[in-house]
Amino acid sequence: MNPNLIFIIFLIVITSICDASREILTKFAVNSLDTNVDGFKKAAWLFIQLIMIPWVWLGFLISILSLFIWLYVLSKADLNFAFSVDSMHYLFVALASRIFLKEKVGLARWMGTFLIVVGIILVSLG
Amino acid sequence: MKKNLTLKILFLLIFSDILETFTHYCFKRSVIGEINFQITSLSDCLAFAQSALASPFLWAALLSILLTFIIWSSILSRIDLSVAVLVASFSYIFVPLVALIFLHEKISFLRWGGILFILMGVILASLSTKEKAIKQ
Repeated sequence: MNPNLIFIIFLIVITSICDASREILTKFAVNSLDTNVDGFKKAAWLFIQLIMIPWVWLGFLISILSLFIWLYVLSKADLNFAFSVDSMHYLFVALASRIFLKEKVGLARWMGTFLIVVGIILVSLG
Repeated sequence: MKKNLTLKILFLLIFSDILETFTHYCFKRSVIGEINFQITSLSDCLAFAQSALASPFLWAALLSILLTFIIWSSILSRIDLSVAVLVASFSYIFVPLVALIFLHEKISFLRWGGILFILMGVILASLSTKEKAIKQ
């Protein structure tokens, strides 16, 4: 493998980790509010509460960073290739949900995650 | 707290997928006039930003991001993150199917295989929430 390709893959892994962290941070903030949204009023209230939480802003900053890296990746690599490598972010989310959010990720959910990663690679390359 | 995936949450997830696709479409439309734009200096960058900001599509995209965030956080208040992201990968099925039906694009054998894998993955992820609800 040439060093350029390894660098591009490294960058895609970084964006995957950024996306996963943003999702974890958002979920962490939502969990901390302990609400159960079932209508527009509650959704709007949740939004107002969320934008006052620093973790959410950290998540926004991370996603802006990830966007810039992603744009750089797309200028160097095929979208098909980039998308198929990026699909591994599902694995990061499953792992981080288990470790940081204490979600119960059982066998069925792990298998679902792997099937989706394989599926996305096939769709991207197909 | 109930954590299983209901039909209502499924519809919300599909809706947020559609909104996200709309966001990408609007971003693309907002810069489509600048296809020959060469960015070599900071002032080029500012001019690019200025012309993008003048496009109504950019504002539609930003509004759509805001709406997606509100819907997504509402979904997260009801189900696990590790399920929500998996079910949201529906868009990988959705986009090729829309391309097949409305744009008459062909779907390759490999891609059909991928769609099948994703579908099975989404079903497994949804079932994994049910299992837990029964146990509790």
